[in-house]
Amino acid sequence: MVMLYGLLWRLLLLLVHVNRALVSWLRVRLQSWKSRLWERAMASLLLPLALAGFPEQQKKLNRTPGADDNPSHANGGPSPRLRYISDGMSLQKLPVHIGFLVTEEEPSYTDIANLVVWCMAVGISYISVYDNHDIFQKNHSRLLKEIERQQRHLMGGDGHPYNVEFLSNGSDKCHNGKKKSKVTFVFFVLFFPGAKTIPDPELVVKFGPVDSTLGFLPWHIRLTEFIFVPSHRDVSYKDLLGALKLYSSCQQRVGQ
Amino acid sequence: MSWIKEGELNIIERISANVLKAGPMPKHVAFIMDGNRRFAHINNMERQDGHTQGFNKLAETLRWCKHLNIPEVTVYAFSIENFKRTQEEVDGLMDLARQKFERLLEERENLEKHGVCIRVLGDLNLLPLDLQQAIAKAVLATKNHNNDVSETLITECLYSNKSPNPDLLIRTSGEVRLSDFLLWQTSHSCLVFQSVLWPEYSFWNLCEAILQYQLNHKSIQKARELHREHQASLQLEADRLCTAEELQHHGNGKPTDAHTRQEALLHYITCREERVQNFLTALKHKRDLFFHDLCIEATTA
Repeated sequence: MVMLYGLLWRLLLLLVHVNRALVSWLRVRLQSWKSRLWERAMASLLLPLALAGFPEQQKKLNRTPGADDNPSHANGGPSPRLRYISDGMSLQKLPVHIGFLVTEEEPSYTDIANLVVWCMAVGISYISVYDNHDIFQKNHSRLLKEIERQQRHLMGGDGHPYNVEFLSNGSDKCHNGKKKSKVTFVFFVLFFPGAKTIPDPELVVKFGPVDSTLGFLPWHIRLTEFIFVPSHRDVSYKDLLGALKLYSSCQQRVGQ
Repeated sequence: MSWIKEGELNIIERISANVLKAGPMPKHVAFIMDGNRRFAHINNMERQDGHTQGFNKLAETLRWCKHLNIPEVTVYAFSIENFKRTQEEVDGLMDLARQKFERLLEERENLEKHGVCIRVLGDLNLLPLDLQQAIAKAVLATKNHNNDVSETLITECLYSNKSPNPDLLIRTSGEVRLSDFLLWQTSHSCLVFQSVLWPEYSFWNLCEAILQYQLNHKSIQKARELHREHQASLQLEADRLCTAEELQHHGNGKPTDAHTRQEALLHYITCREERVQNFLTALKHKRDLFFHDLCIEATTA
């Protein structure tokens, strides 16, 4: 009888895994199918108009889902920096401090660097990155180089680069920037004595399948909203914007 | 309404419970019972009735946990922030708590039969005195109904010192935050956020949460192990540093051999652990005294 229940349990877990794999496969297929369909539809509808020279329709063509996913200077539309700023201002509320919690085994520096650059562009002042094995912490110089590279790639030669200050465990330096475009990039571990001047993260985006904070800033997350994104690999600007929109629409009663 | 709802699971529930029990089960589950007021609003009830329904649901959930062999349950009943609510609502909640703790004492034998041990965590000084006394009586009355497990120093010093950290934290009503509940203790717990309102919680919702726990079990165990090893190595490093400093301080400039260093390290560790133990004993004594004094005040009043 015990063996039977054991078998049934394994079967149940298998079904759940299959279900999850199917759902995520469908989600990816549906997205790419939808965007291809949309692109084809727009192309076939608007090409004649574009040839006839209608400027409004040109803008519509630019605003395909592909462009929305990852705006960059290659689009030839309005400056991407302005686009990001206007996205940030259009939200009801923006977190001052955002945390990225990566529960996946192998982190991708490029994707995290992209997220950091987008956050800076949208107007978030403090960004924390955490993973269970402290990989980013140990290789922070590599991550910072990647951030600089992605800044150039995503922003082009547009304007001056963001000034990133890096803080880690044990550091008690925290200048509240008098310079413009000042962003503080923070690595946290459990105890961070110098963190008195850094606000608690209002939003933590968790990537990966593990449903736990895995020791991320236990004392600082008392009122933090958690938003879940399946994976940080190939994460798009649209995913980040979606998370920020969700955060801006949530209400905290703080006990009342 | 009683603290423990009597009754067995039906056949389908029993089979599902047995299937789940074939996998790893959480030994300590924590609930953030959110959604009572929204439930009351949706069903055109008074808020107070929503809270009463919430308590009834708690009794039912304790019964399910018993059937699923979950030995420890912690619930987030009231927070310091909740004092900001209207006086009427706060008074209503305090009255509900008073009623329930008094009922608890009446049901003492039943609780002993089911092996229920009640612990109340938090700064009780903020509650009305008579409620503090009722809680003290309940805690002392059920104190010996099971055994203690102790962990690291910080864990020991928190109000939850006698409980192991929760394996699973469940928050109902769809909110995705911790609201200051057991932040330290849930750093490596499985977090499950469910959109159902607390008074509508069902056995199947609980099973779903446990299944999530089981799916995450291996990864979380690995993370916990890693964390423990990391903490142990940090502690050893700190001990080594302190020992080296002491040797330098007390030594006469002669270089020490490995054997002396090792002996000094072991001695330092033994002294440190003894200091910690004395501190914890004093803390425990203070806590027990707090509850005893409250009970004595209640009986002489």
